[in-house]
Amino acid sequence: MSGTCAIVGGGLAGFCAHATLRKGGLEPAEIAVFGTDPDPAAVWRVRSTAIRQRRMRSESDGHCAPSSFPGLAVRTAIRRRSPGPLVQSLLDRYHPTVDEFLDHVDELRAATGWDESFHAAHIERVRAVDGGFEVDGHGVYPHVLLAPGHPGLAWPEGLEDDPRAVHAYEPHEFEDTVEIVGAGMAAATEWLNALDAGASVISVRRREPERHPLNLPRVLFSRRGLAGFHKTPPDERVGVLERFGAPSYPAGSSWDEPVEAARRAGRFHVSAELNGAPQVVCATGFKRGFRHDPLLAGLVAEHSLETAGEWIVLTPDSTVGSLTDETRTLTLAGVPAQWAFPAADTLMGAKYAARRFARKVAAWRTR
Amino acid sequence: MAYTLRGRLESRLAAALAPLLVACVLALVLQAWWPVQLVGLMLAVGLALDPVWYRLVPYQPGWAAAPLGLVELGAVMGLARLLEVKAPLAGALAFFVGAWLLAQALGHAVFPLARLSYGEDGGELGRVGPGLVATALVVLAAAGGVAWATQPPVVHLSAGVHQGPLVLDHSQQLVGEPGAVVRGGIVVTADDVSIRNVTVIGADHGIQVENAEDVVIERVSVLGAHLDGINVRMSEVTIRDCSVSMLGNEFGQGIDISFTAHLEPSLVENCLLTGGQEGIFLDSVHAMAIDNHVRQTTLRGITVTEMAMATVEGNRVEDGVGIGILCSDYSMCDIRENSISGIRRDHESSDSMREGYGIVSHYFAHTDVKDNDVSGTRHEMGAFADAYITSH
Repeated sequence: MSGTCAIVGGGLAGFCAHATLRKGGLEPAEIAVFGTDPDPAAVWRVRSTAIRQRRMRSESDGHCAPSSFPGLAVRTAIRRRSPGPLVQSLLDRYHPTVDEFLDHVDELRAATGWDESFHAAHIERVRAVDGGFEVDGHGVYPHVLLAPGHPGLAWPEGLEDDPRAVHAYEPHEFEDTVEIVGAGMAAATEWLNALDAGASVISVRRREPERHPLNLPRVLFSRRGLAGFHKTPPDERVGVLERFGAPSYPAGSSWDEPVEAARRAGRFHVSAELNGAPQVVCATGFKRGFRHDPLLAGLVAEHSLETAGEWIVLTPDSTVGSLTDETRTLTLAGVPAQWAFPAADTLMGAKYAARRFARKVAAWRTR
Repeated sequence: MAYTLRGRLESRLAAALAPLLVACVLALVLQAWWPVQLVGLMLAVGLALDPVWYRLVPYQPGWAAAPLGLVELGAVMGLARLLEVKAPLAGALAFFVGAWLLAQALGHAVFPLARLSYGEDGGELGRVGPGLVATALVVLAAAGGVAWATQPPVVHLSAGVHQGPLVLDHSQQLVGEPGAVVRGGIVVTADDVSIRNVTVIGADHGIQVENAEDVVIERVSVLGAHLDGINVRMSEVTIRDCSVSMLGNEFGQGIDISFTAHLEPSLVENCLLTGGQEGIFLDSVHAMAIDNHVRQTTLRGITVTEMAMATVEGNRVEDGVGIGILCSDYSMCDIRENSISGIRRDHESSDSMREGYGIVSHYFAHTDVKDNDVSGTRHEMGAFADAYITSH
């Protein structure tokens, strides 16, 4: 098997890349997508269901289509025949429901011929060869985008094998009293879920969460903020990315009022340590860094790629500089691409990498 | 969106391209340059403010376009007024709003569709951007150049005495250097003529305007005219900052504007009119007489007559005979905030209206008066022959 492009990873980041390449004129047959589930939202769906997520943190342009317009607010406004979503979007108050987002994924999957490009395969190794990259026995491709996703769930030390513990991103119900570890979006969502289920909640956290509408300041989603970020030297950038990893969730009464009410009723407490509750929900996100991902770790080792801290060093256009030239492209997308785009694990970040990858492919095709 | 400075400038100029072309077409259709001048002002204001917005607004939510647009609208309209761009208010507002809406549509929909990374590039348009910017600037420069080239030529009148009559029968700007004098009058018969900084001596009418529109007369002095200082017939004029001396002239008027009711309103503003039968005579016109100083007239200070519609506001009328301000013959007058003093009885007339009135409404005229200061006259105001006066 061989073609123009390979996308390693069949999740949402790979899906965004596929849609963007299709918009750029590639046929489904020219794109090989390697993943383990033909549904690009399969993994995300399990996690969002586990935390009972109802609305997206992202806004109107948090979708997988290649162009930001029309965003989900426009689509919803048309479907509901109401200007409400557009007005909310103008005020940065529109957050699509999870169902709206998943419907959009299904529509885009059908429209882009995703299933024609999809190949069920778990890729463990990608290596540079003459003319491109050899994809684990599935052929050589001149342009490869790696979107392996998060390398696994992160557990607090000592809790992974504790029978009381469940990860927030795994299906679970709530005991009468539950300790929820973490202070980010998933943790805040779980506070509300547990309170809604009638449980008493102990928020276990060592620092207060930050409150941002999005997981990073908005200027970092565009060149205005990225230009400065890209100029930071590696050591400094590692520090910046570590700071960006601090837990946060949006401000607003819909988050605060239920917690305050529970606090007054004695059903919500904050603690710095676990305290022996019958259930511990670990809203601690994902493992961080390329070393936890065998594919990326192997790539780094085999080609002696430059790294800094937990990150593979990338060019601003999200490519691996030492393995990319006029004849071939190796792009990282999704969470491993934070070196180029700090919010790489968002839909906007996925599209940032996808658009630049598509640009490289288009330049190669017209050479 | 978090615009970069380049993104703001490129987006603005690219979005201005269509309004610029529309303005050029409008200019051709309307035979007027205001659309091009307006779009030029919009661009100038926008480009001047973009660095300010860039600093003040690191991230611009969708709603913020409205207040920023209102600030720009205010600046554009203020500059248009300051620079005397002859744009109708409604037309200018419609053009601005249309251009603004188009820019929003382009920024939110068209540019992101055309360039997928438009948002994350901070509004920059990539390789196409400089081309669009250059095109917009070239079109603006070309239109501006044509506008400039087709402006009325400026004719400089050197210091010294020039024998008249000067006949201005094509569009032009006549500008006198200090000490420029025309002896024998100036006659205007063409549209779009301006006369500035000139002293006119003699002639039947010092300046005569016939069948012309868009005529501006500024900073002129008229002396020794045999009939009227400035005589306007079937024309639309703006007369500002003038001085007309009719002392010793038994029958003439300082400024006589007649038979212009079918045209845009004329304006007489901030002029000093001395002597003659009447200082300002408005007959069958739409006109405004504002902030003028009229004195030593022998019949009436300011007259509005023969189905005229006029605003007479802020004038000082003093030391005259008979009537300060007259509204007559089915005219409708808005007379407000004038100062009228020292209007004496006309002893040579048995007409009861000439017993020394500040304001007279006569013969079916409707006169609204408000906040006038009348002093040193025998009567403050009076209505005669089925005329009305309404005080506010």
